[in-house]
Amino acid sequence: MRKKIKKNHEFFELSKFRRRFMLLVLLTLFFILFSRAFFIQGMQKDFLQQEGFERSNRNIELYAYRGKIYDRNNQILAASETVRSITLEPNRVKFKNGDKKKLANLLGIKIKSLNKKLKTKKNHIYLKRKVDPEIASKILALKISGISTEKDYRRSYPDQEISAHVVGFAGNDGNGLEGVEYKKNDYLSGTHGYKKILIDARRRVVDNLSEVRVPVDGKDVHLTIDKRLQHIAFQSLKKTINDSEAISGSAILIDSKTGEILTMVNYPSFNPNERMRKRSPFVKNRVITDAFEPGSTLKPISIAAALEKKVVSVNTKIDTGNGFYKVGRTQITDTKPHGIISVKEILQTSSNIGVTKIAEKLSKKYLWQTYSNFGIGNLTGVNFPGESKGVMRDYSLWKERDHFSASYGYSVSTTIAQLARAYTPFANKGEIKNLRLYKGDPIKIGQRVLSIKTSEAVLKIMESVTEEGGTAIQASIPGYRVAGKTGTARQFIKGVGYGKPGERKYNASFVGIAPASNPKFIMAITIEDPSKGSNYGGVVAGPIFRRVVSEALKIYSIPQDGIEIEAEIDNDKKEI
Amino acid sequence: MKLNLILFSLLIIFALVKINAHHLYRVNYHSLEIEKRKTIELKDEQNQLLIQESSKSGNGRISEYAKSKLKMNPPVKKQKKTIK
Repeated sequence: MRKKIKKNHEFFELSKFRRRFMLLVLLTLFFILFSRAFFIQGMQKDFLQQEGFERSNRNIELYAYRGKIYDRNNQILAASETVRSITLEPNRVKFKNGDKKKLANLLGIKIKSLNKKLKTKKNHIYLKRKVDPEIASKILALKISGISTEKDYRRSYPDQEISAHVVGFAGNDGNGLEGVEYKKNDYLSGTHGYKKILIDARRRVVDNLSEVRVPVDGKDVHLTIDKRLQHIAFQSLKKTINDSEAISGSAILIDSKTGEILTMVNYPSFNPNERMRKRSPFVKNRVITDAFEPGSTLKPISIAAALEKKVVSVNTKIDTGNGFYKVGRTQITDTKPHGIISVKEILQTSSNIGVTKIAEKLSKKYLWQTYSNFGIGNLTGVNFPGESKGVMRDYSLWKERDHFSASYGYSVSTTIAQLARAYTPFANKGEIKNLRLYKGDPIKIGQRVLSIKTSEAVLKIMESVTEEGGTAIQASIPGYRVAGKTGTARQFIKGVGYGKPGERKYNASFVGIAPASNPKFIMAITIEDPSKGSNYGGVVAGPIFRRVVSEALKIYSIPQDGIEIEAEIDNDKKEI
Repeated sequence: MKLNLILFSLLIIFALVKINAHHLYRVNYHSLEIEKRKTIELKDEQNQLLIQESSKSGNGRISEYAKSKLKMNPPVKKQKKTIK
């Protein structure tokens, strides 16, 4: 049978009404579609693009590391370590039973204080900044919604209180507030950068849209400080201050040939890792910032001035009488009567009357000029914040009394760093050296302030101070020749003056040079008001010099004086 | 007609290659970002270790251990002899 085949038009034949209706529906739909497209593309373009960018674009901060601070042997004195900051979104936070108490305990804050923070109207606050990563992990393990952590950096000082005064410390924002951290802040702190990135739906970073600012890490600072000697000096100073029940003490050890500062310590000190550090009254680096009347430690300079002017020689005899000498209305005394003694013995016994009689032979101007040449009343070149110049009034303002009292270290005030620098001419054949704390700083050529002959003569005289009969036998180091000078100066207290006998307070100090045969180290020490036992500079400060410098001589392999002579003899024999 | 078909196929292929290349770029960039993050983490760890090393090799800690655990004490004056 033959099937009847339908023609095409028979399948799709619609009524006219239906055709028009469908056409209208389709046109309406297209119109709606185009209208919506126009609305989105044309009317809401900026808003929607903004929304899209916010979902897929992120600005991320590129952290610039703050530079480290090293000692001369590349041992770290300060560096930044990673910590976490605990953040809170008060609107989202929900506590389960007991979580609030656990959180407060972990943060080390009271629940009352936590509740106060929870009531804040801000969207995002820091609960606690710079928390140890272990504590942060414990907090995250509580799984409290609305509480999260952010990566942060904290300055760490492994040497703690030992180098605290030199290194200083940085604040929460990473900016230096004290010491080298403050002085070299621009050098240490880098510039943080940030870049725009694209993230996908799974929040993975997939493209770099633009690098807006490239981070620049801070530079490292290398100091001339020797951490090993710093430790020894600090421990020695601490022991002496505790034993002698003194108020405080400071010490500085320098390389006499270069002026490099090897140690700079103060006690009491503070721990720069603790947050309450700013409140400590002992934050200042007193080696640099505090000036005091140096007392007899200034006598070698007065004697050097007289020897240079040739008004006396080393063996000139001077009558110091019975230990009392009146100049105008001022009574000058010695600790005991010395009678007629040589210039050498004046320094060895630290006779005030002897030095006064020598100073009488010198003009005020010449004496003032000599002190000034030795750096008294001038900055040391150490480039440290808060450095004090000390006080040395112009000679034209000196009264008669000042002329003589300056010769034995009163009426002028210096820092302990200035005093150490003032002894460099004796160790460098008459040349004074600037102090250096930063290894990168150029070494400046020393300035001649004394003739070689005079500097050697004074150094030789100062050797007698640490020998039998001198005032600082406690500072002698077996195997080495040591030169030095003690000082026991009365403290001037505002409103009270120097005080009545029995009520006086003293500064016990010592400045030494070792080995005297070929000077390498100069150490200056001052102890404020030692009240238990002796208050003499040689007795109190001398042993610190001995302990620290004997270790320094060993560490730096400085040959003993005797061995050096024997070695020279051996060499001479070989040459023959 | 045939040429059009070939050109259309090429267009589709190149479009797919471009999409694939872009995808690979994003995958690699993501890997690079992970490596960069690791570098920062390692740098942080290095800093941490340097600080730890500096704290643990501190002279104070060594002398404390030497005194308490090894019973080492610096010689007193009587125990010292100077060789001349």
